[in-house]
Amino acid sequence: MTAAEWEIITLSLKVSGVAVLLTMPIAFALAWLLARGRFPGKIILDALVHLPLVLPPVVTGWLLLIAFGNNGPVGRWLAQWLGFTFMFSWTGAALAAAIMALPLMVRAMRLSIEAVDPRLEAAARTLGASPWRSFLTITLPLARPGLLAGAVLGFARSIGEFGATITFVSNIPGETQTIPLAIYGALQLPGNEAAVTRLAIIAVALSLGALIISEWLARRSGLGKGGHVL
Amino acid sequence: MSFEIHIERRLGEANIALSLASDGGVTALFGPSGAGKSSVLNMVAGLLRPDKGRIAVDGVLLFDDATGLNLAPEQRRAGYVFQDGRLFPHKRVRDNLLYGWRLVSPESRWMTLDQAIDFLGIAHLLDRWPRSLSGGEAQRVAIGRALLSGPRFLLMDEPLSSLDAARREEILRVIERVRDELKLPILYVSHDQAEVERLASTIVPLHPKA
Amino acid sequence: MLTALRTFFLLSLLLAISPAQAQSRGPLVLAAASLQEAMSDAARVWASRKHAQPVLSFAGSSALARQIEAGAPADLFISADEQWMDHVAAKGRLKPGTRAPFLRNQLVLIAPANNRTTLRVARNFPLARALGNGRLAMADPVAVPAGKYGRQALTTLGVWASVQGHIAPAENVRAALLLVERGEVPFGIVYATDARASSKVRIVGTFPPASHAPITYPIATLKASKHPEAEAFRRFLLSREGKAIFARRGFAVR
Repeated sequence: MTAAEWEIITLSLKVSGVAVLLTMPIAFALAWLLARGRFPGKIILDALVHLPLVLPPVVTGWLLLIAFGNNGPVGRWLAQWLGFTFMFSWTGAALAAAIMALPLMVRAMRLSIEAVDPRLEAAARTLGASPWRSFLTITLPLARPGLLAGAVLGFARSIGEFGATITFVSNIPGETQTIPLAIYGALQLPGNEAAVTRLAIIAVALSLGALIISEWLARRSGLGKGGHVL
Repeated sequence: MSFEIHIERRLGEANIALSLASDGGVTALFGPSGAGKSSVLNMVAGLLRPDKGRIAVDGVLLFDDATGLNLAPEQRRAGYVFQDGRLFPHKRVRDNLLYGWRLVSPESRWMTLDQAIDFLGIAHLLDRWPRSLSGGEAQRVAIGRALLSGPRFLLMDEPLSSLDAARREEILRVIERVRDELKLPILYVSHDQAEVERLASTIVPLHPKA
Repeated sequence: MLTALRTFFLLSLLLAISPAQAQSRGPLVLAAASLQEAMSDAARVWASRKHAQPVLSFAGSSALARQIEAGAPADLFISADEQWMDHVAAKGRLKPGTRAPFLRNQLVLIAPANNRTTLRVARNFPLARALGNGRLAMADPVAVPAGKYGRQALTTLGVWASVQGHIAPAENVRAALLLVERGEVPFGIVYATDARASSKVRIVGTFPPASHAPITYPIATLKASKHPEAEAFRRFLLSREGKAIFARRGFAVR
């Protein structure tokens, strides 16, 4: 394992870690809205949340470029008021990873919230708890293992994110060259099999590990009838 | 006038209509399964909203569709003992018991934890997890949890139905003691005639209406 | 529910065995990304002559070469450089005697259409200074032909070292074009034909042909080719009429 390869791995971990951490509260809020909310347009919200799951990743990357590039509506605002840009930066890779991980995280978290017996929340209300307190003391603790499972699942997905990343922020070593992009680049040159194999093994190991942890957490929380997130 | 309940509500294909006024002791709602007895308790607790009517307990108005009054469950001070116990699985018995106690103002608490566990004989269970309790033990903890939340009245939904004969007798005695010593108005739901005749001073039949 | 399912199943079966569809599928052509518009023109002309519509697949030449190496059942391959065609030939995937030089292209420096900067593309030209904090978009200079030519040209002009750390390596030359079109980068290096295809970029300068290896697009028939019209289509592309279609899009033809 060369120094360059270590840099790729640490960049991947950084990008995915940041992506999942920052997405967790958003995914949770969306999961809560979809699990317990009753409002017009809920189906549309559900569909929008699942869009990155079904769109070709390149299309997602292109949409990110249109909106968050320096000349896009959001990107321009960020550059102007916060001096911040996603373009060609690891933060752009993190944004792409976050968008791709979001649907899976929302799904898992929604399942875990729905698995909390609303009758327990009703019991808490009769004992004097406001809806907010009931959420904090009953729903959240009971949903927690499932929430963690969702986060780890999102991490597994974001480790493997490629199409949206390369379309949005291209393939810059040290900044946006995560493991999948590095493997892709290495595949471009004939005779690079050894490097490709090493990186691929790392990618598989990380994803597999994350998936197993996620399933274990989900089973611990007894999600759904079968107790799993996938 | 303990319970003044005049409500109407459509539930699925059936209609519930109830009109009762009772004074003290145990008021029993008696009828077969599916007659909507639990729904009545839920309406008194504030978990279900009647279509029409008025609910007052001990002179305090909880629901009145004429004025649009509908107190939230946490404001009604009802001690609800559910048919399935509904102990919080992620909290030990002690924290289950104290859940409502911690939320209510000190002057509204009329029982301490020690008094409750003495009354119910559950001192040895304090550090246990709900899933490790027997049916009778869980039911006693559920009653204790409701009592400790400083309620002004109790709602009990078939509290003996999931218990065997010995346990049933045990809990019946506890409820009699609550009725006689603590003097709280109790609205009690059951389909068992013997139970109802033993406990209640007022019996209100409830039949399913199509 | 069941009737809907049955209807759906029957419809898909019908489509799958539809004879009309099977006949209308022409030879499968794997072509470099920069040939998109011109190849589509040529395929349309060919189909209008009562031939089956050719199926076109565009990607970076390196990706296409890998697919061919893995046994992709395609008919024709048009690469954006000789090296990848050599690679495929070395793996024994070409039908002997079918490889021929086809097109030539030029390399240009482009900027977003509303950027009025003037730069003369010559030895030691101040590209790094002109880039400022921005990046230079180009196809991946390690393996994609457009990127390799670009790197070669910049090296010959003595400018590569100063811009090496400021590249935005895109997946293919069209992705690099997109970055310039969107104004996300101040400059990019693409083929002259790509610049012509887009109204959102302007050409700042053309790289002297001597600064890089000739950009040639060889064409060849693959050994795996099975379509009866593959050879006829190849001949059409190489004919005077076929080449004229590409010339209209900015390619140089022999």
